[in-house]
Amino acid sequence: MNISIRMIGIATTIFWIFLILFTITAAYSVKDIQFHFGDPQTSMNAHNQVVFSMPISIVNRGYYDVGHFNVTSRIASEDGSEITRGSTFIPVIRKDELVTAYHNLTLDINDLLESDANYLFNDTNLRIYESVGLWLAQVIPVQASTNFTIQWGAPLYNFTIGQPQFSVYNMTHSRVAVPISFENHAFFDLTGTIQVRMFSGGTQIGEGQTNVEALQNSRYDGNVDLYVSNTLVDLSNVRFEVYFLSPFFNYGPWVIPYG
Amino acid sequence: MDEKGDDSRRKIRRIVFLALKATIKATIFYVIYFIVSGFLAPVSELIPGFQQMIEAFVMVYIVLMIISDLTSGTIYQHFFNAAKALFVMAYLILSLNGGLFGVTFENVSLLVDLRVFLVVAMLLSLLGLAKSVLQAINYMSEKAEPKLL
Repeated sequence: MNISIRMIGIATTIFWIFLILFTITAAYSVKDIQFHFGDPQTSMNAHNQVVFSMPISIVNRGYYDVGHFNVTSRIASEDGSEITRGSTFIPVIRKDELVTAYHNLTLDINDLLESDANYLFNDTNLRIYESVGLWLAQVIPVQASTNFTIQWGAPLYNFTIGQPQFSVYNMTHSRVAVPISFENHAFFDLTGTIQVRMFSGGTQIGEGQTNVEALQNSRYDGNVDLYVSNTLVDLSNVRFEVYFLSPFFNYGPWVIPYG
Repeated sequence: MDEKGDDSRRKIRRIVFLALKATIKATIFYVIYFIVSGFLAPVSELIPGFQQMIEAFVMVYIVLMIISDLTSGTIYQHFFNAAKALFVMAYLILSLNGGLFGVTFENVSLLVDLRVFLVVAMLLSLLGLAKSVLQAINYMSEKAEPKLL
């Protein structure tokens, strides 16, 4: 029995030494894993969605491989409902290896506007949830997570249709100049078309469009010219329908009564 | 008279030997801790209270080890060995919060899942506990055996 007990003791001691050495070297390896998060790039994909792409470089100079590297980003509205989510997963980062990956987050502004048109006209806050996880030595899962708030700038902030200016174009038609103004608070330069349709008593009596180009944080002031038949104009019952067409989003009709 | 003197001299020698053995073991254990704590310094910077946690563990473990060595050759040695194994188990479970270790720095929360480590450590501690029980049984059975003349 003494020999068996001694063998148990020796085996236990050896396993303890292995376990402690492994734990210490795994913990020590953490400081030798370097992460570099590059500047996010914005681009458009084939489906006219905005793609935020962030390069991530990981250098593993630790004693062990790193497994299950995972970056997850979630964007939510102020009330907590999810707008978009993106994940990047790298199964294994071998020791002494450099791995570069792109963490992509796709934002469909059309979907966003469908859920709430306020994003087009009003600035608001968005909640960003970020989490980075990995398995140290492919055995010990570690996860770091954070959340913060960023401001969403409305691309058509304070959009206003001014007083239409009527002028005689020819014997049969009048020209209507509809003044339009807004401020582009979005993170992108806004280029596109604003289309205005004029209705009188349920019948479309004129249509016009103009190209707009508003840089980030700049104000746009312009006119949309419409040509309407002199006989059709009944100013007591006029409404405008406004459409926005841009590479980032299409929105409309936005109905603005007049008169 | 001479026999009595020899007996007490043998007892003193034995106590001195046990004390010396306990001191050497405790010193070796502390030196190992000292070396290992150097490696753990980066972790200590990240986790507040980590250093104190380890120090408290080492202190209690060394005390149990010394008592166990001083009571060597008696049944109490096995009690203290079992207590040592139980202390390691309880300490690991409590300090590691069941294996899920979470820390928050400002707005960043860090979660480390040490359940695999904890399971292995528990198994090894159980093995240590089993060894102590077996040693106690062996000690008692040896005591109960009739001595050959």
